[in-house]
Amino acid sequence: MSKIQLSKVTLDFPIYGANTRSLKKSLVSLMTGGAIRAEDNRITFIRALEEVSFELSSGDTLGLIGHNGAGKSTLLRVLSKIYTPAIGDIKIKGRISSLLDLGLGIDSESTGFENIYLSGLLRGLSRKDIDAKKDDIAEFSELGDYLAMPVRTYSSGMQLRLAFSIATCFSPEILLLDEVMGVGDASFVEKSKQRMSELVAQSDIVVFSSHSVELIRKFCTKALWLEKGHVKLLGPVDTVLAAYDKANGIKPAATRAKPASDHV
Amino acid sequence: MEETPDCLSPPPHAIILPNLAPKTPNIEAFLTSISATQTAPPLKLKTAVDDLRQGFLSWRIWLALGYQDIRLRYRRSQLGPFWITLSTAIMIYSMGFVYAKLFKVDLSSYYPYLAAGLVVWTFISSLILESTETFIENSGFIRQTSLPFSIYILRLLTRNFIILLHNILPVLPILIYYKITPSFLSLAYLIFGFVLLLLIAYSYGLLLAIMGSRFRDIKPIIASVVQICFLLTPILWQHKMLSERMQHWTVFNPFYQLVELLRAPFLGQVPAPSTILYCLCLAGFGLGLMLIVLAKSRHRIAFWV
Repeated sequence: MSKIQLSKVTLDFPIYGANTRSLKKSLVSLMTGGAIRAEDNRITFIRALEEVSFELSSGDTLGLIGHNGAGKSTLLRVLSKIYTPAIGDIKIKGRISSLLDLGLGIDSESTGFENIYLSGLLRGLSRKDIDAKKDDIAEFSELGDYLAMPVRTYSSGMQLRLAFSIATCFSPEILLLDEVMGVGDASFVEKSKQRMSELVAQSDIVVFSSHSVELIRKFCTKALWLEKGHVKLLGPVDTVLAAYDKANGIKPAATRAKPASDHV
Repeated sequence: MEETPDCLSPPPHAIILPNLAPKTPNIEAFLTSISATQTAPPLKLKTAVDDLRQGFLSWRIWLALGYQDIRLRYRRSQLGPFWITLSTAIMIYSMGFVYAKLFKVDLSSYYPYLAAGLVVWTFISSLILESTETFIENSGFIRQTSLPFSIYILRLLTRNFIILLHNILPVLPILIYYKITPSFLSLAYLIFGFVLLLLIAYSYGLLLAIMGSRFRDIKPIIASVVQICFLLTPILWQHKMLSERMQHWTVFNPFYQLVELLRAPFLGQVPAPSTILYCLCLAGFGLGLMLIVLAKSRHRIAFWV
């Protein structure tokens, strides 16, 4: 039984510009003292998330929507335990796997097989687990003999195939996704969407960020609309998406008319 | 972020916060200036210890990454990592002749001293220099995964340990030629010295990595300090060349003690008790300080890289 609980999570991003980061400033402010020192101690923060609260339990699939910079990726990184918020409380139960960056741990000088092994290790698998998955990954990626070649010899589409095949062959309890649907050429797009659906079905909880309203509608039961770090709206997917479309001046009928596959 | 099973929160299906706030972008609200001391959290020693423990347990990852670093650096080269051996050999053999002539000393005592000292020094100095940029180098991992931070230092140690093993090779012919035979005791001290030095490198390496990611000036500062220390430490010149009064002062040089910890066993001797005591204190102090700094800053490192 997996569970995610966020209560009033606020995340401030410290901005280290030329004015605060150097040691010289720290030393100089130490020596000057007084008023200037007090001013130099101030660090500028960007409030990336403000008082975000929600609760998810097994079976929930949450879609994150919002404009660029609304805090979608930041929220996923908070859930992945990469960023620790200064204020608020997070409780997570379950094994997390996050697909934030498909290319993580993919090294262009190593061969496909070496990359499979290393990526598996980075995702916490043992050598035995990886050996068991290796053939599956090779088959799914359709890369064949290329897997014995260095990844730098691959085309960018082939690199994506490999990365996607590796990243999606493990079944987590909690799956965090950041805009990774649909990669490669037309036939692989279909295949990867199929794989994604399976992965979403296998996971207890899925949190998924996308600009594509259609994908959210297809995969998610709930939606969270973020605007400038605030929760603008949280609820059943249809309610939130309708409000989101309305706010963006899209008529609900227009989006519904398009088939989902065109959007990937 | 505690993983606890209790569940007390607003009902998940409710629509909360229908935010009817002004539609104009309110930049001031998001670009807030907050005093850095305002959000100082309590010391979380447990998270720091957990980080170190998880780091050790992920030995497959850091061994693989450290080994990969070496493999990639020398991929498609004919000699591979033995280029390290070759360049070290050329340096030691040529320097030995020149400096023995300059100092007018007997080659049989100077040559092994220089070779062992130089190899140990190379290990120590590259660890220090590379530590300061470890987190910056691994920022891709740090921003995408929640792997323990100590993994990146262990990766660095692995990489440099492999390099050290290649560097030791050219020292061996000199030791054999001058008939320096290791005793059982000196071999035991060699292993002990390695373990202690790695522990020191681990502690101070993490400290430097944290400081180096927060303050980008640390790296050039350390680089110039290390260069000066090389000249001030008896490596090119022998400790016994100093006057007796000066010899007392070198005891306080941590680099002298660190080099001596391994150089003495290499030369078939046992390091002085003061050296071992000094290094043990250095390790204890470093480990304690690193734990405190890691506990205080662990949650911020992802923002710094």
